[in-house]
Amino acid sequence: MPDSTRKTRVNKSLLSDRFEKPIEWLIKICGWSSLAALTAILIFILKGAGPMISKINWVEFFTSTKWVPSPGTGNEPHYGILAMLVGTLSTTALALLISVPLGLAAAVYISEFATGKVKEFLKVLLELLAAIPSIVWGFIGLMVLAPLIQNWFGVQQGRNLLNGGIVLGLMSVPLIVSLSEDALRAVPDAYREAALALGASKWEIVFRVLFPAARNGLLAAVMLGLGRAIGETMAALLATGHANQIPSAITDPVRTITATIAAEMGEAPKNSDHYHVLFILGLVLFVITGVVNVVADLVIKGTKKHV
Amino acid sequence: MSSRLLILTLTLLTGGLTSCSDKKKLEIRAKGSDTMIQLSTAWAEAYRKVNPNIQVNAMGGGSGTGIAALQDGTADICNSSRPIKDEEKAKIKAATGKDVVEHAVCLDALAVYTHKANPVTQISIEELQEIWAEGGTITQWEAVGGTGGQISLIGRQSSSGTYDYFREHICGKTPEKKQREFRQGISELVGSNEVVESVSKTPSAMGYSGMGYKNDKVNWLKVSAKKGGEAVIPGEDAARSGSYPIARKLFIYTVGEPTGDIKAFIDWIKGPEGQAIVNKEGFVSLK
Repeated sequence: MPDSTRKTRVNKSLLSDRFEKPIEWLIKICGWSSLAALTAILIFILKGAGPMISKINWVEFFTSTKWVPSPGTGNEPHYGILAMLVGTLSTTALALLISVPLGLAAAVYISEFATGKVKEFLKVLLELLAAIPSIVWGFIGLMVLAPLIQNWFGVQQGRNLLNGGIVLGLMSVPLIVSLSEDALRAVPDAYREAALALGASKWEIVFRVLFPAARNGLLAAVMLGLGRAIGETMAALLATGHANQIPSAITDPVRTITATIAAEMGEAPKNSDHYHVLFILGLVLFVITGVVNVVADLVIKGTKKHV
Repeated sequence: MSSRLLILTLTLLTGGLTSCSDKKKLEIRAKGSDTMIQLSTAWAEAYRKVNPNIQVNAMGGGSGTGIAALQDGTADICNSSRPIKDEEKAKIKAATGKDVVEHAVCLDALAVYTHKANPVTQISIEELQEIWAEGGTITQWEAVGGTGGQISLIGRQSSSGTYDYFREHICGKTPEKKQREFRQGISELVGSNEVVESVSKTPSAMGYSGMGYKNDKVNWLKVSAKKGGEAVIPGEDAARSGSYPIARKLFIYTVGEPTGDIKAFIDWIKGPEGQAIVNKEGFVSLK
């Protein structure tokens, strides 16, 4: 008996010796692959944007609202993205205004208040909600929300900034809830117990103890929610009305950068100026998300130093 | 182990590819107008049943792209939603030594759609221009005899042939004799049907789309060439006779008189089967 156990032990260690190195390498490659993918995407976009990077009038690009990518015969094209930039940023801001309070509150409820079957049920429901394809959300904006907005606000166009903001906001709620719920759950129970022992109420525990302790995770949740809202295409295309103008009211139709790429890429002749400019729009989105991430990182570092 | 697997998959894949393409078919390359791409694809699919040995490849890119393809020999037929220009004819003659032959294959009429509840029944081309073109003076329904304040404009995205055609015929020319562009702030939707669907849900809307998308939740405006002139409702006969002002012919161009399989294909398009598909795709047949 002892002989045979020794044998298996030896075998096991031989096995792990043989596989240790390759697996270590495999994991390393997996880790670096995200960087490789990011670089590849950047190269792809820059290559697509190609000659227009030096040819385009950058001042007009950022300060004009005139978007005429395929002008009539004899006319100059105009590539001004100011209205789209405002459209993207305003829908995203509105979406966050809706999704952050809703998402955080739901996360607090699920993590701190709900128990047993209710908790399990809500978690399953959220996962289901997160799995709804964006085109379905777009249809909800188009078929359900648009007539409601027309009635409530007495406006003509139901597909507008408000509609887009609500749809994108609701879309990012499940993501924010599940990530912030993870962050809240990761706070050690000792914190809660210590606060209770000091006589804190449940709300005080949530606001004074859990939120500060879980802030990195919560901020990451909000950032990913923002990423979802800013990058969403199909729902934005259907819900916002896709009109290239700077909105003067919350019920004005707007147009986002992503929806522009989706609507025009398919039919823009390959390697035309228009085609390259659409890649520059992609580059703009890339820069926006990059800046948002860096800022979030700095904020997290700043709060760390502060505490 | 893994490299052996990779080789196996590659062989399987490439084997699959070659076995797919070993049956030779005669190919007709049709290139050009994006407006006609769906029609052209529908013709190609239906023609497969008529003559299984002919494979028609329908490609878009725009009428100009198609005409250029005739010149450099990368297309056999060109779909065009506008008549060919004289300089394009001359270029093709110089490059190939042959004359371009024009085949009118069907008509296309654009309708101006409004919401069912909108009391306005007719409009002139001049008014449409002031409504849609850049710097136009009409933004309110009241200016054209309606009610409801600001007109919500719903059109197509800029890469669509319908967009091009409507711009050319409605927006007119600038004082410098150049194409006048659309005004900014028009909802640009992807798809002819989406325009009509959106108009049906927006009481203050005015939209343009092909004739084939009418339903009972939207109205067609009668269109007159001049203000106060006789306004015509879009329709097949009105499009054919030319009395409806926003109608055009759609063409196929070939280099020289077509022969053999290409001639047979074009004759079939002009015949009853091809023309039935024209109607089904929302265009107007020749007869």
